[in-house]
Amino acid sequence: MTPAWKRRLAFTRMGRWYTGLTVAIGLAATNTGNNLLFLVLGLLLSSIIVSGLLSEQSLKGVSVERRLPSVATAGQPALVGLLARNGKRRAPSFSLEVREARGDVAGHGFLVLLPARQSAEVAYRFVPQRRGVHRFRQIELATRAPFGFFEKSRPMDAEAELVVFPREVAPAPVEARAPGREGDRPEDRAGIGLEVHLLRDHRPGEDARSIHWRSSARAGRLIGIDREQERRKRVCVLLDQRGLRGEPLERAVEQAAALVVREIDSGAEVSLALAGQSLAAGAGDGQRHAALRMLALVEACGGDEAPPEPEAGASVLEVRG
Amino acid sequence: MRAAAIRAPTLLQAQRWAGTATAALAFASCAVSGELGPAMLALFPLALIISLVGGDKLRGRWQWAWSTLLGGALLVFAVQVFAGHVDIVLAAAWFVELLCIHRLWQRGTERDELLLLLLSLLLLCAGAALAAELTFGFAFLGFAVTGTWALALTHLRFAIEAGRGEAGSAALLNSRRIATPALLGGLALLSTLAIAGAALVFFSFPRVTIGGWRRASRPSPVAGLGDRVDLAQHGTIEDDPRVVLRVRLDPPPRGDPESLAMHWRARALSHWTGQGWRSDGGGIIPARRLPTRTHHGHPPSLLTADVEVVGAFSDGVVLTPQGWPLSVEFRRPGSARAGSQRLYRNASGDLFYQPVDGNDLRYVVVVDGVEPDLPAMRGRGRRYPPWLAPDLEVPQALNPRVRALAQRLGGGKDPADAAAAIEHWLATALRYTRELPEGESRDPIADFLFVRRAGHCELFSSAMVVMLRSLGIPARNVTGYFGGRRTDAGYYVVRAGDAHSWVEAWFPEVGFVRFDPTPASARGSRQEGLWARAVLLWDGLQQRWRTFVVDYDLLSQAQAIRRAGQILNQAGRRLAGTGGSGRLRTAAVAMAAALAAAALLAGVRRLRPRAGRGRGPALSPDQCRALRLWRAARGRLRRAGFQVPPGTTARDLARRFPAVGETADAYAAARWGGAALTPRQARAALRRLDETLKRVAPDGGP
Repeated sequence: MTPAWKRRLAFTRMGRWYTGLTVAIGLAATNTGNNLLFLVLGLLLSSIIVSGLLSEQSLKGVSVERRLPSVATAGQPALVGLLARNGKRRAPSFSLEVREARGDVAGHGFLVLLPARQSAEVAYRFVPQRRGVHRFRQIELATRAPFGFFEKSRPMDAEAELVVFPREVAPAPVEARAPGREGDRPEDRAGIGLEVHLLRDHRPGEDARSIHWRSSARAGRLIGIDREQERRKRVCVLLDQRGLRGEPLERAVEQAAALVVREIDSGAEVSLALAGQSLAAGAGDGQRHAALRMLALVEACGGDEAPPEPEAGASVLEVRG
Repeated sequence: MRAAAIRAPTLLQAQRWAGTATAALAFASCAVSGELGPAMLALFPLALIISLVGGDKLRGRWQWAWSTLLGGALLVFAVQVFAGHVDIVLAAAWFVELLCIHRLWQRGTERDELLLLLLSLLLLCAGAALAAELTFGFAFLGFAVTGTWALALTHLRFAIEAGRGEAGSAALLNSRRIATPALLGGLALLSTLAIAGAALVFFSFPRVTIGGWRRASRPSPVAGLGDRVDLAQHGTIEDDPRVVLRVRLDPPPRGDPESLAMHWRARALSHWTGQGWRSDGGGIIPARRLPTRTHHGHPPSLLTADVEVVGAFSDGVVLTPQGWPLSVEFRRPGSARAGSQRLYRNASGDLFYQPVDGNDLRYVVVVDGVEPDLPAMRGRGRRYPPWLAPDLEVPQALNPRVRALAQRLGGGKDPADAAAAIEHWLATALRYTRELPEGESRDPIADFLFVRRAGHCELFSSAMVVMLRSLGIPARNVTGYFGGRRTDAGYYVVRAGDAHSWVEAWFPEVGFVRFDPTPASARGSRQEGLWARAVLLWDGLQQRWRTFVVDYDLLSQAQAIRRAGQILNQAGRRLAGTGGSGRLRTAAVAMAAALAAAALLAGVRRLRPRAGRGRGPALSPDQCRALRLWRAARGRLRRAGFQVPPGTTARDLARRFPAVGETADAYAAARWGGAALTPRQARAALRRLDETLKRVAPDGGP
């Protein structure tokens, strides 16, 4: 854990010139004994000291919290929020730069003024260039206030992870390897659907629409009908990533993600089968999120990994590398 | 509040104005030295006005002309320096001034603004090398304030531009809510801190100077005590309040009077020109020893005058207080060290030195303050040595009425009584005025004595000299100053308006004796107005500036440190109860206790909120526990022989080693998901991980 007192100090271009000039004036004053040069030297030195004290005052008591987006997709801009709070009682902080440090993501925001006991949020936009986990390690709070001679920064541990979904591409036309029935399919149980599951005696109080009139006429009593429960179209997106590396793996993952999105958007239940892991069928936003997350974290693996197992009865959309 | 917001400049305006003001004050610090020359002196204000009027229109224009001008100027200045025509510091100041003007006309980027500020700083340094006046101090203070504004606002402006981009920063840069009077006031306060720090550094920085390349001061402008008096001038004599001498007397005058009644002798003028007087014109010789005084029967009454002559008025003449000068010793201003000047004298007994620069001169004169009284001068006869011939020379065209008047007043009397009678008559019968007669007078003395019957001190003294000479008594006209005004800084000043003229008459075995026929009430300066007070105040400030700043050296530093040590020692003894009064001791102890209590309170207040400060976003106890759990799990895995590269996430690890799955889930849920993680749960998770790890081998994987 980074200690709270730790600071990093770097010269700015102005600071280098200013310090060089201070040294030169100091030498000139010592050489000539000119008291007015000593006076100028005193002003320069005390300005440096004042600058150091004020920059420390600006950094002190400020905490920063990172706010990550709920979804990030490779190739698309994502907004990361940085919420800074000045915990000092009276002193405001000036000219604060809040930036990421030592992580996978570079970004920064700038605050002109952060009044005492107040919070302010800045955001930066970053475009992830790859899918997968993006790690955030530290936030650096930096200031060049008040004079811009030095940049003093204070590193703060703020570890976090952001899983970036695969890049959005148009899905390639893929033919089902084991084509299932198009559209919704009946299940062998009573439920809501169109197909007849079984006929039985009508129960008093049941909706009249559940009466099978033709059978009732034939039987001479009211016969009710139970409908067959229908289920949605089931698709299994299959990606065998064994032996795939680099660009082919990325293309395959992006295709798989595109298929998953397309099928879920069309209302199908989608399962995902990868070498060594799988995701049970499901629909809706939750399933989309889970599937994209799984695809985001796909890594290259060797041939000893178990081959992907397609879901039985589902149309299998296989993505080839 | 609204009105204040409207009046405030935009950040952009404030930043540019502050930069301009900083450059202008840096130039002023150079200009007050008076060495820049009229062309360079006029160039900067002109260029500044053009830059203010032209604004951004000047930017990027005439670059080739600028390059040629600056290159040419550098070449010319370098040649002049190598040829010995121009001092290198002055040449550097000229060149930096040109660079500053160039940058004032080419402002736009951060680099331009920062270069302008650095060049201004160089110009200030040149001013420090060229000038030593108090006005430099004021320019320096102004520079400290505007420089603080300029640095802070420049930083703010370009930080906003860098942080928000050109489009995003436009609204802020043109906002009138940033460079408010409150911000500028705060920055001014900051600059006072910097000035206080500068003072601290200035007084404590060791003055161990190498003294390798110290620049000589500028040559002296000659003014003031001339070798000629012209009585034919007309108009009104201005009562000039400028300071000529600063004097400290030992012993101090009795009663510490506000005004000093003392003659400060400069030169004796013996030759009548028909319209006035001129000096002897003879050569001057080094004066290793001053002439000894003829014994007059009284013990000497020594008076030591520590005199500092303002350079512009001295003209190489040593001014001595009334009395017989016994010794003159030159010193360096503001220092106890001996000066390098030599003393010279002429046949009239006037004392001189060779002015090597235009700076003020300090010397200590010891005089025997006892002057012979009338009885001591009486009965000395009329045998005069030949060298007194010039002082007996009567003007050829002397008006007979003057001679007759002299005869009436002193004819037949002892020379001493005659001189006293003429002095008394002039002082009482005629009126003093500073109004000089209109039109040229052929005989100013006769005109003064018989027509106007009023005049200034030179007419009074001239009339007396001529009358004494007509009676055969050697006499001469003497110029100098009369008076002295006490200042708050503990010394007396003699001002230019105190210029005066009187008479010296020679008596055998006594020598020259001073007579002053000007009415006593009219001698010296009578100006007491606001302007005169302001001049005195300014002079006091200048003196303090010189004593505490310009002439502050190792000796002064040692004295200051010793004094500070004495004060601390004294305070320590009082606190220890070995000195000081009981009440003082109680007050000191109470003050120390109050300070200690305040320090303790401040320390407690600082420490109290520290627990939650400075560590980034605070973690909840569950999150902290999750972090500890995760570190412990990774440690166990490593110890069990599993490779856990740095940066491996919980999910990565759980996928690679399902045995860690439970621990990873618990960690992720508590660390990021806001779930609870009790110590018992954490311990249980670790225990189960240990058990799993015992069952699996690292090579085979769990």
